[in-house]
Amino acid sequence: MKRLLKWIAGVLAVLLLAAFGALCYMAGSPKDAYGMVRYALPHMHRGTLKVGSDAPDARLLALDGTSHFHIRERLGARPLVLVFGSFT
Amino acid sequence: MGDVVQIYNDYKDKADFLTVYVREAHPTDEWQMKSNVKDDVCYAQPKTLEQRVAIAKDFTTRFKFPLPFGIDEMANAADSAYAAWPERLYVIDETGHVAYRGGMGPFHYKPAELRDWLAAKYGAVKHDSAAAAGPTTATHSAASALAPATAGAPVAASSTK
Repeated sequence: MKRLLKWIAGVLAVLLLAAFGALCYMAGSPKDAYGMVRYALPHMHRGTLKVGSDAPDARLLALDGTSHFHIRERLGARPLVLVFGSFT
Repeated sequence: MGDVVQIYNDYKDKADFLTVYVREAHPTDEWQMKSNVKDDVCYAQPKTLEQRVAIAKDFTTRFKFPLPFGIDEMANAADSAYAAWPERLYVIDETGHVAYRGGMGPFHYKPAELRDWLAAKYGAVKHDSAAAAGPTTATHSAASALAPATAGAPVAASSTK
């Protein structure tokens, strides 16, 4: 029984190391792997929207820093391309 | 290929565009990347809407970013509704329905797919060389989905830099 537990622990350790290695490779470095797990993964969501879903609305602030508008206000007679992103 | 500014320049007479600035992806106090330092794009994660506005203004000024622009408020309502962070593309059709849903960035953020969608509807716009970059003024910061890229340059996954 003890031997079996040791085997399981060993296999788990190897799997964890392999997963960490793969994450480091994907992210670029161990520091980036940490950053990805700590800061990126909690905020990344596939979402539930699909092609054909009603486009959700949200209030946005204009660049002037004072006026507001809604995403759906920009819907008109043409398709609306939405580009989400940040500076960094 | 091509970035959103190039796509905007090619299709702004056919479709409307709106950029939505969401919470920073690689701020100095979270997961900062080497490319951010190299490109001098170093900002802490905004704690106030004023700070978001300031960064958004820096961005639009630095890149002379031509697309219409809105800023997600601190409750991150737009981000949540569209699962937008760190970067994502959508097309909403004239009836208010999602017509194109881009993949989750950075790995599945593909402006080329958006271009294909627009090309299928309005016809392709061809560019013969990198000189067709339009009014972009800076080289691409791979860490930023919004930063203009040199025409033809792939939008790399930010975490590969």
